[in-house]
Amino acid sequence: MSASKEIKSGDVLLELDGIQMSFGRVCALDGISIKIKKGEIHSVIGPNGAGKTVMMNCISGLYNPQKGSIHYKGERINHLKPHDRAKLGIARTFQKVEVFGGMTVLDNIRLGRHIHYKSGILSGAVYLGKTAKEEMEHRKFIEEEIIDLLEIEHIRDKPVGMLPYGLQKRVELGRAIALEPELLILDEPLAGLNIEEVEDMARFILDINQEKRWKITCLLVEHDMGVVMDISDNVYVLNFGNMIVDGTPEAVQKNPVVIKAYLGEEDLYATRK
Amino acid sequence: MATTFLPCGVYHENYKQDQAWWQTKFIKSKMFLLFISLFFIIPWISDTYWLSIANLIGYTVLGALGVQLLIGFCGQVTLGHAAFLAVGAYVSTLLVLEFPWPALLVEWGLAYPLSILISAIAAGFWCVLFGLPSARVKGFYLILTTMAAQFITVDFVITQYVSQIGGRGQAFSLPPGTIKVGPWVIDSDIKVYYMMIVLVILCVVGLVNLLRSRVGRAWVAIRDNDISAEVMGINIIKYKLLAFFVAGFIGGIAGAVWISNLAAISPEHFPWFLSLWLVGVVLIGGAGSIHGTIFGSIFMVVVMELLQMAVIPLADTYPKLLVDFLFIKESAFGLAICVFLIFEPNGLAYRWWQAKNYFNLWPFSY
Repeated sequence: MSASKEIKSGDVLLELDGIQMSFGRVCALDGISIKIKKGEIHSVIGPNGAGKTVMMNCISGLYNPQKGSIHYKGERINHLKPHDRAKLGIARTFQKVEVFGGMTVLDNIRLGRHIHYKSGILSGAVYLGKTAKEEMEHRKFIEEEIIDLLEIEHIRDKPVGMLPYGLQKRVELGRAIALEPELLILDEPLAGLNIEEVEDMARFILDINQEKRWKITCLLVEHDMGVVMDISDNVYVLNFGNMIVDGTPEAVQKNPVVIKAYLGEEDLYATRK
Repeated sequence: MATTFLPCGVYHENYKQDQAWWQTKFIKSKMFLLFISLFFIIPWISDTYWLSIANLIGYTVLGALGVQLLIGFCGQVTLGHAAFLAVGAYVSTLLVLEFPWPALLVEWGLAYPLSILISAIAAGFWCVLFGLPSARVKGFYLILTTMAAQFITVDFVITQYVSQIGGRGQAFSLPPGTIKVGPWVIDSDIKVYYMMIVLVILCVVGLVNLLRSRVGRAWVAIRDNDISAEVMGINIIKYKLLAFFVAGFIGGIAGAVWISNLAAISPEHFPWFLSLWLVGVVLIGGAGSIHGTIFGSIFMVVVMELLQMAVIPLADTYPKLLVDFLFIKESAFGLAICVFLIFEPNGLAYRWWQAKNYFNLWPFSY
C-alpha cells in the first residue's frame, strides 16, 4: 500500500478537527471534531438530516469542508481527491447501495482491488505473462479471503444488479474490504435488511475488525441502536450538524440530551433495544 | 454475457480454467471452424461483390468497436466518431503520399503499415482532445460536445485546410501501387479482405483482453456508477480519457485501413451520417457487447445490400426508387433503429445469447 507509514494499534488513525460544511446558508456540519484510534469501531448516530452522511462524504473526499482539517495517519488530507484517499487506505460503502449493476459479483470485488492491480493499457490488451499472472493471484486472494468470508460463493458469477438487496449490500461490503483498507466507512450497512441479514452483517463487521488478517478500523453510521450499542467502542451523536455527545455506548444511552434528541422517551426506546 | 453453461461431467479445477476464454472442447472446435471459414472458405466461395461487402462489414466493425467502447462500456455517448476515422484516413494518406520515407522502408512495404500505426495514435490523441469535456459534462451535453468533433474536424479542418495540401482542393487520389504491405501491393478486394480480417481480429482480441483486465473494469465501473468508482480509487478523468484514446485509436485504424479500398479520399467519405450509422450499429447489435458490434455490423450492411438488390429490379417500373435510393437507405436505417429499440432494446447480442441458452438447456428448459 502506498501509505506513508505504518501505525500501531491504539494510535490515532483519523482525526477531524473543527469541520464546518455548509450548503448555502444551511450549516450541515458545525465544528465537528473526532479522533479515531486504529482498531476501534466508532459509530455516528443521530436523527435524519443530522449531517452524518455529509461527515462521511467529507472524510472520503466527495465534499470539501469549508473549515477545519482532516488528518489521516497524521497527514493533512483535505486537498486530496477521493481516488487518492482510496489509495491511502480509506474505503467506504454507501447508504443506498452503489454497486456496479452490470458487472458480476467477482468483477465488483476485483474492481475493489483496483489500486492493487498493476497492469496498464498495453499489457492488458496483450493479456500474457504479467497481466494473466496478476489476475490469477488476485482471483486467489478474492476467492479465499473475501468470497469465503462473506459466504457469497453461490452468486459469484451473477450480475449484481439482479441480486436481492441484502446480497447487494454484502457485495458492496466485499468490494470495500477488497481494497484492504485501514479505515472503512460504513454508511448504514444494516438499513433495509431483515433480522437474519442484520445478524450476518454485524458478524462480518466484527470479523473484519477483529480478525488478525484484516484488523480494519470501522466508522459506522447506523440507526439500529441494538447493534450500535453492542459493537461500538465509541459513539458520536449528531443533531443539526452539532456534535451533542461523544462517549462510550453506556454513557450515551444514559445521556438525557441524547434521549431527548434522538432515542426518545425511556419506555419507547425499550422496544428498540 | 453472464454465465456459461458447462456440459455434464466438465468441472473447473483451477482459476485458470474458470477464467479462460473458450472453456469447452465444443466451443474451441466451434471457434476453429470460424477461423477456417474466415480465412479460407469465405474468400474461396465469394466473388468480388461479396468480398467487397465483407470488407465493408470489417470496416464497420472496426469503426463501431470504438463507439461500442465509449457508449457500451464507458457510458460516454459519442456522435462524432466519423471524425476520428477521417483523422486516421487522412493522416495515413498524407504519410503515404507526402512523407519522405527512406527508400528501404518503401521497398520492404513497411511505409503503409507504419502509417496505420502512426495515424491510429494521431486519431487517439485527437479523440482525447474531444474527450476532454467529458471530465465536466455528462449525458446530453457530452453528446453535443462530441458532435463538435465531427463538425470541427471534417467540415472545418479537413475540408478547408487539409484538402488544400499540395494544391489539390478536394480529394486526395491514391495512385495504384502506393498501398503496399510487405511484399504485397494491396490492389484487389481479396488482399484488402485479408488485411482487414487480421486487423479486425487483432482489435477485437485486444479490446476483449482490455475489458477483462484492470483498465476495462474501471471503464465499466465508470459506466455503472461513477461516484462509487471514484471512491474505490479510480481516477475517473484519466480512465475516461484513456477510453477516448483507445476508441480513437481503433477508429484511426479503421480509417487508415479503409483507404486501401479507395482510389481517392475526400471529406465526403466521412459525413456526420457515418457517425450516426456507427451508433446505430451499436444500438442494433446491443450496447455493452463485443458480439453485438459484429452482429450489428453484419446486419446493417447486409440489410442495406439486400435493399439495394430489391430496388434495382423495381427501378424499371419505378425509376424514382433508384433516384431516391439514398433516402430509402436512411429511412430503412431509422426504421431499423426504431424497431430494435421497441422490440429488442438489448440488441442482437441478447437474441444470440438467448438462442445459445436454448440449445444449451435443450430439451429441458429449466
